[in-house]
Amino acid sequence: MSEGALPKDDAVLRVDDLQKSFGGLAATDHATFAVERGTITGLIGPNGAGKSTLFNLISGFYEPDGGTVEVNGTDVTGMEPYQVAEHGLIRTFQTPRKLEGMTVREAMLVGPRNQPGESFLRLFASPGSVGESESANLADAERILEEFEIDHLAAQPATDISGGQMKLVELARAMLAEPEVLLLDEPVAGVNPTLAKKLKSQIRRLNEQGTTFLLIEHDMEFVMDLADPIVVLDQGHVLTEGTPDGVRGDDRVIDAYLGGGA
Amino acid sequence: MSALTDPKGAIAELTRPEGWVLGVSVAFLLFLLAALLTGALGPTYFLFLVGLAGMYALLSFGLNAQWGFTGLINFSVAAFFGIGAYGSALMTASGSPIAGGFNPLVGLAVALVVALALALLIGIPTLRLRADYLAIASLGLAEVMRLIVLNERWLTNGSAGVRGIPGFFKGWPVLSTFPEAMPGLRLEIVPGSPIFLEASFWQALLNVLLVLAFAGGTYLVLRRAHRSPWGRVLRTIRSDEDLARALGKNTYSFKMQSFVLGSLIMALAGVFYTHLNLYVGPGDLDPITTFYAWVAVILGGSGSNRGALFGGVVIVTIREGTRFLNDVALPIDPAPLRLLLIGVVIVAVMRYRPQGILPPQRELIWPSAVDGGGAPETPDSGVRERKGGGGDE
Repeated sequence: MSEGALPKDDAVLRVDDLQKSFGGLAATDHATFAVERGTITGLIGPNGAGKSTLFNLISGFYEPDGGTVEVNGTDVTGMEPYQVAEHGLIRTFQTPRKLEGMTVREAMLVGPRNQPGESFLRLFASPGSVGESESANLADAERILEEFEIDHLAAQPATDISGGQMKLVELARAMLAEPEVLLLDEPVAGVNPTLAKKLKSQIRRLNEQGTTFLLIEHDMEFVMDLADPIVVLDQGHVLTEGTPDGVRGDDRVIDAYLGGGA
Repeated sequence: MSALTDPKGAIAELTRPEGWVLGVSVAFLLFLLAALLTGALGPTYFLFLVGLAGMYALLSFGLNAQWGFTGLINFSVAAFFGIGAYGSALMTASGSPIAGGFNPLVGLAVALVVALALALLIGIPTLRLRADYLAIASLGLAEVMRLIVLNERWLTNGSAGVRGIPGFFKGWPVLSTFPEAMPGLRLEIVPGSPIFLEASFWQALLNVLLVLAFAGGTYLVLRRAHRSPWGRVLRTIRSDEDLARALGKNTYSFKMQSFVLGSLIMALAGVFYTHLNLYVGPGDLDPITTFYAWVAVILGGSGSNRGALFGGVVIVTIREGTRFLNDVALPIDPAPLRLLLIGVVIVAVMRYRPQGILPPQRELIWPSAVDGGGAPETPDSGVRERKGGGGDE
């Protein structure tokens, strides 16, 4: 969105010649693209284009057969998902993950990275520092829940809220992890229009505050309105990328979606 | 629907099982007291039972730290229990085929170190994999340990077991001679049924104090550890490990910590058992111990330390209570009846209260952060017990 204002080569995520095959099928086929800092980059493509595979490769859940992934200039190829997250790349999942036996507030508090209280020894050696960081995180969680206008859900069991609310909680929790770049996998799939609008405005607000987004979305209206630039994926490789209008008018994109010859 | 009206109902719903447990416990204690006073239950034997209850509580705590906190499926409770029992027995017993004769504290340390090593050995290859692999490997480990103890006579005396184990307080000042130093007492509270308190009673009392220290300390450690960011990550792993990984948690390390912690607690139960029973044999590694621990945790409520404690006591009650059925003419032997009874309990719990009798209720948030006014309107308990509600938009 504020693409022009930033130096052109400030990529927070860079995917270079990434490859992954399952059996004989090349799910990701020499994919190359970059996500510039400060953008909301959309990743679209027909079903089976390899979007989710690409997300799994970037976030470390799959190991690529070839190519590299760079986050913030660091090569994270082949790292464990938690290590990729430590470098500032946080992802959400297509189907919201239900945290059984947790309230929304608790589920939120899993978000912050490297909490002192996550060290078993520190719970006993320096309980004071654990308490301080916990209070700060709790305050952050409640502030973010308020910003997302879902603070009334804080004490609800995380499994009892609606699918759309779950998506909001996921986004809110991801923000607690303070991501440099946030990968959203279909943020509005199965979400009612009112909540989708809310999600859109939240993403836009967070972007204005400095978070970079890469999002997969099937809802064309949603993605075209929100994202710029847009990367089009087809059969595992990057077909084209550009502004929403440019992509919309591209014949190859129309062919890919309508299944015409190419 | 509103969050204001629901918590009250939740608390009312929650206190029912708690009140029920409390009521039954009090009734049970009164029953035991009556049995004690009338001489139907020997005080020394009673203390032995309390010791056993503490031991089972420890085993349940250990399994709860693995399964209840993190969802790790460990079928080798008996193996870690056996490591603790044999580890300390072999170091301290006069009849030990190896070292022997060491101070029980040395036995304790050795038992814990061996249990730690074994937990790492089994955890390193399996904890990076899906949950099923730990289950399979631990099943194998339990059997391997049992066979080693049975067959490696140079190390364990084989089927003869290890004898000549001293009490835990051997070599301690005051406490080592405490049972003999105490005068024998004769109490007659209910006329006509006197109670004798002799050296064996004071010895049993020491054992109870020991297990109270072990179990109490373990409980405090687990309570603090669970209600913390650490415990929260474990609960996240239990529910959805991929989510924890995506949020930057090194789940392998967390699972390992939880597994090692639980295994050490199980070994601690074994150490206590050695100095309670003063004899260990290969039969102590039978899978039934694993089974009992699982029943206790599921019955009490996975993830709840109080539940594990409750489950442990219920197990001992069923296990030892059925012994009295020997005196009653029954068409079948009490031993299979005991297993049948436990089976019935499990089926009933699964059917009517799958979350266990005392499921965890507290949010896993560091207490001082909550008490500090972070979330005053929220009830401290009962949040998870509620059904339905909530889905307003």
